[in-house]
Amino acid sequence: MEYFTQQILNALSIGGNYALLALGLAIVFSVIGLVNFAYGEVIAVAGYAMFGVYVATGIGSALLLLPVGILAAVGMSVALEKVAFRPVRYAPAATGLLTAFGVSMVIRSFFITLVATRSKAVPMPEWLGQRIDLGFVRIQLIQIIETTATAVALLLLVFILRRTNIGLAMRAAARDFDMVRMVGINANKVIAAAFAVSGFLAGLAAIFIIARRGAVDPFMGFAPVLKAFVAAVLGGFGSLGGAVLGGFILGALEVFFQVLLPSDIAGYRDAFVFALVSIILVWRPQGLMGTRHQFGDKDE
Amino acid sequence: MTDTLRSLRGAAFVALLPVLIAVLVIAFGTGAHERIFNLFLINMILVIGLQMFMGNSSIVNLGHIGFMGIAGYTAAILTIPVQIKAKIIPNAPFGLATFQLGPVEAGIVAILVTMVFALLVGVLIVRESGISATILTLAFLVIVHTVVANWVELTRGMRALYGVPMTVNKWILLAAVIAAIFFARWFRDSPIGLQLRASGESAIAAESSGVNVRLLRLVAWVLSAAVVGLGGVFYVYLIGSVSPKSFYFDTTLLTLAMLILGGMSSISGAVAGTVVVTAGFELTRYFESGPVMFGVKLPEFLGLTGFFLGLIIVLSMILRPKGITGTDEVDERWFRHKM
Repeated sequence: MEYFTQQILNALSIGGNYALLALGLAIVFSVIGLVNFAYGEVIAVAGYAMFGVYVATGIGSALLLLPVGILAAVGMSVALEKVAFRPVRYAPAATGLLTAFGVSMVIRSFFITLVATRSKAVPMPEWLGQRIDLGFVRIQLIQIIETTATAVALLLLVFILRRTNIGLAMRAAARDFDMVRMVGINANKVIAAAFAVSGFLAGLAAIFIIARRGAVDPFMGFAPVLKAFVAAVLGGFGSLGGAVLGGFILGALEVFFQVLLPSDIAGYRDAFVFALVSIILVWRPQGLMGTRHQFGDKDE
Repeated sequence: MTDTLRSLRGAAFVALLPVLIAVLVIAFGTGAHERIFNLFLINMILVIGLQMFMGNSSIVNLGHIGFMGIAGYTAAILTIPVQIKAKIIPNAPFGLATFQLGPVEAGIVAILVTMVFALLVGVLIVRESGISATILTLAFLVIVHTVVANWVELTRGMRALYGVPMTVNKWILLAAVIAAIFFARWFRDSPIGLQLRASGESAIAAESSGVNVRLLRLVAWVLSAAVVGLGGVFYVYLIGSVSPKSFYFDTTLLTLAMLILGGMSSISGAVAGTVVVTAGFELTRYFESGPVMFGVKLPEFLGLTGFFLGLIIVLSMILRPKGITGTDEVDERWFRHKM
């Protein structure tokens, strides 16, 4: 029972991380149809910002580092939209995809040139790694914080999307961007807001990725974003609720196979996860919560 | 002039570029240039293979390097001499450690195996459109990589398989590139290619005109896998060893960048993109090592290649989103007024 509860918590915290990132990808995709492969670098920027501030000030306090990471990610995300993605806004999906690849190479190489390929340690406060004994289960504090923060962030996002004008505009833009602009809403503002939210989610996820690894390096964002991309498509790319659902399902699948596979084939975990995701996609090409497209429809 | 002749002339015209580069390399190049040239030719085969599916069907394909891996590993395992196999993969399944094949037979088997895998995977992928098709190709790449990296008895896992007889040279590679250019151009201009390109523009319009989109996509997928597989076979014959990381995201992104930068809807684009990216890559690699210029020793810049490659991609996407050659073949544009 304890083992079982423990694994459920694992699935929740891993899935929560994927959900944050999948949502960050989906919100940008739903508004301008861009598959943002430079998203991993936004995470790396948040990581390096925290590392830089820590080196400069010598203060390892979470109260200082967390806002720094989030601000850096939001700033980076909005800046990328202005500099790189705005000129290709109306281009076909492949153009945006490749632009994002290019941006990601530029930023990653920038870090390799300036800070070197090796990991840099970022100290995380001791208490994050502590385990709390609840009698029937012992939980790592970081898992509680991670799951709580994910839940709070998602609730906040739901609030923004449902209760504010800009949120309403973003949801409308996800349906029909032309119509949104026709009723006089500033397209640039809506898109910038989507990128800002996306950056915020990346910053939040970055904190937990770094807390687990205890270090930053130029490639730290790649694997999580790849998984998040899969999660977002699994849930139905462009559907925001679907991205969250996809993230949690992917997290659950990973933990499930980790636990279930005998140790001699445990290395094949990703193959099983991706195979299962493929089967789900063949069964429901539009993703679990995506809207049904006719064969041949444009993606938007 | 008939359509077939026009296609042939166009392919010959495009094939002039690698031939011209070959002449330059032979006339002025050193051994180092020849090594770069050989890898350049292999990349060109991969990019042309990628173009055959992606350019005609307009589905972004992230999984093609999986086929390079399957073909490369098959060819490697079949051609490594039995004595070396006894040392590095003694327990290979299916009795693969007990015999060896010549490079030609092994290459043919490897490409056939690749095509069988392509057929099995393709049946699922051609049903999808847009982003979910792309995710399926990505999943295929990850699955191939995971299996190759973990099946230690067969592939030696993450460690390199070595001892593959190095049996290709620049002439064979050049001939293969020219053959690939003609093959891909023939395919693009054939009724299949034309119908497929129509389906890439609008699948509904194509379907309602009687085009069997799924079947044609499957044909393109399998043929594309065969050409990419050929590139994989030549790669191991050139390098002599093989490890899983040669067939993963680095190669995927590099070849994808070459194709999209050149212009994915034409063979001219595939060829031009390979030339431009290779040239840029080698030039920045030269600066990366901190060369001496005008008597000044420039500092070393690790990561400079990635920086410039990324910058070139971003700039060209902003300035020329359809790629260097645009939608048409070069010859179609240049000779249009004579048609």
